[in-house]
Amino acid sequence: MSLQRFAMLASAAIMSAAFGTASAADGPIRIGVSIAQSPPGSVVQGTQVKQGAEIMMNLINDAGGVMGRKIELIYEDDQGIPEKGRAAAEKLITRDDVVAVTGGHQSSVCLAAIEVAHAYKMPYVNTNCWSDDIREKGYNEIFNPGNYNTRVSSAMAETIAALGVKSVVAFAENTDYGIGQAKVLGKFLKEMAPDTSYKYEALDRAGKDFTPAVLPLRGNPPEMVVNVMLPPAAYILMNQLYEQGVAPSAKTWFYDGAGIADYPDFWDNVKEAGQYMLAFGLYHPAMPMPDSGRQVGQIYQDKYGNEPNRLIFQAADSILLIAKAIEAAGGTDPAALIKAMDDMTFESIRGTFKFSQEPGYTFKQWVDIPFATYQMTEVNQPLSKTLLIQATGQELQTDKLLRPAN
Amino acid sequence: MLALDLFVNGLIIGLFYALMAVGLTMVFGILKVVNFAHGEFYMVGAYTYTLVSLKLGIPPWVALPLAALAGAGIGWLTERLLMRPLYAGYSSWGLMKDEYAVVVTFGLSLLLINLFDKVIGPYPMRGPSLSSVTRMSVGPFMMSGQKIITAIIAVILLIALALFIKRSLWGRWVQAVAQNRFGASIAGIDTARASSIIFMASGVLAAIAGALLAPVINAAPDVGIFPAVKSYVIVVIGGMGSVPGSILAALLLGVLESFGAVYLSYDYRDTYGLVLLILILLFRPQGLFGERTREV
Repeated sequence: MSLQRFAMLASAAIMSAAFGTASAADGPIRIGVSIAQSPPGSVVQGTQVKQGAEIMMNLINDAGGVMGRKIELIYEDDQGIPEKGRAAAEKLITRDDVVAVTGGHQSSVCLAAIEVAHAYKMPYVNTNCWSDDIREKGYNEIFNPGNYNTRVSSAMAETIAALGVKSVVAFAENTDYGIGQAKVLGKFLKEMAPDTSYKYEALDRAGKDFTPAVLPLRGNPPEMVVNVMLPPAAYILMNQLYEQGVAPSAKTWFYDGAGIADYPDFWDNVKEAGQYMLAFGLYHPAMPMPDSGRQVGQIYQDKYGNEPNRLIFQAADSILLIAKAIEAAGGTDPAALIKAMDDMTFESIRGTFKFSQEPGYTFKQWVDIPFATYQMTEVNQPLSKTLLIQATGQELQTDKLLRPAN
Repeated sequence: MLALDLFVNGLIIGLFYALMAVGLTMVFGILKVVNFAHGEFYMVGAYTYTLVSLKLGIPPWVALPLAALAGAGIGWLTERLLMRPLYAGYSSWGLMKDEYAVVVTFGLSLLLINLFDKVIGPYPMRGPSLSSVTRMSVGPFMMSGQKIITAIIAVILLIALALFIKRSLWGRWVQAVAQNRFGASIAGIDTARASSIIFMASGVLAAIAGALLAPVINAAPDVGIFPAVKSYVIVVIGGMGSVPGSILAALLLGVLESFGAVYLSYDYRDTYGLVLLILILLFRPQGLFGERTREV
């Protein structure tokens, strides 16, 4: 090879490397979002996660981006199926060059996807997977700014104990989330309401007829029925409980522990079956919230015409957390991002917190995540008009609750 | 009391299953084609009923026949565009390219599910009820007005179908084609039209089932999978091609699932039908009402 030819090749290689670096440094920062965009996953949840994430992406980009670079969200449809969630995470990390993965909203999928994130040592921000098992794995890469089963179950057990309910039957979907939450609720009831009898029944989340599970309750109804199922199965169950006169009724409370009350299609699907339902929620317009959260809620309402719900805020916070970690780390190196998230006090749009490092279900979790308990007192009632009986830092007021006449 | 509750609930569910399964068994019995898109005929009916009522403000009682019309339309189109090329020019089923029908109908099923998912959206939609009575006591039983109306319409439709096949001219054509397509054509029967009629009837039954159940099982792109799977089981248990067999098997399956879910385990609810299916295949492979045949 002549000296001239060698020099040309060397210059070309150097220029290519230089342009390549410049292009990667100036291009958008890619964040992977794995959500259910088609059945059998909860498409309602997936859509809301997408909407919340996009609102935050636009806010960040309109303000100049992160370190001068725009944020770009790369979506993958996991269909709510664990193996697809695993494949989605793999593709996002290895082919799409994302700096972090987020969006997870169904526990079984998250449990599969975090294995990939853990193997590649990539930051994974869990948007809405409630299963405690995700935290108990103790993976260094997994951060949980969303809700968790123990939080729901302890809050519900507190309400059940305050109501003096003596018998509870829970219907739980046959998933990691459903069974996990039903078991934890039983554990807390043993502690907080030892005289209360409790049992749960696992139902198929793809089921269409739950009447045989409901009928045995007709003869001897419990004082409370708890829902630990997601739509559409939850809606079918509610309608069949109502049709059989089991719950809500004068004798039996109906308590939702799956956070379905603020879904945009809730009233379209349940009508009278939703009236008098007691609900655990992670957002209520009357809850205390930072101005940044109110701003996101307003943008959502203006754009989509519905009241916002928890998933909008949680998804927006997932993107904000990654953006702030990039700024704190001064780059997108995965190890630096993980350290930044560990060290930071995160001013989220739902409140300020630091991730716990306590092992168990609290590992890398926002332990004191705000929640609310409220009751739907009218059919087609918007969230803002529901009866708030408890919010974080406020006393539980069960005496305000209403019951149907029959 | 619980046993009686379960029995009645099982019979009602069985009637829903029967509406679906009868259409499937007719297509198989007469055309020797397993229609894998049958569940999507159900889905088309559920969506037509729900969307026409909710979006256009048309009363549910008017939306119901429109759903039936949509079912007839998709049945006719399927037969005319996708099935007819498979048997056009063949006088004998033995020569027909029936293996293609499996691929074609399976493809149609995927096409319809994805088409509705993209065009209408993946959200479940609850259809309006035909009755404003959300729950009522009927003797010792509790049920919604919708369920009672659905059960009555299902019984009427099944009886009407039996009379149509037995008494009407078109029904006799269908019977003739089912017995011997070549012989029927020699006798001057328009076999192509008979095939169209059967596909349309199958579409109507599935679509009405979808519409009637839309207030109970919300319409969604994949809503047809559940009744279709049940229908395949029912058709084999009842005897492939046997309408009375399908009705009896549907009622049997409804009651079996209802009791099994309570007295055995809810978790295995869907397996009870499969266990019955295996037993039937072992001890009476032609099904309850099927005829044992041998081809040479």
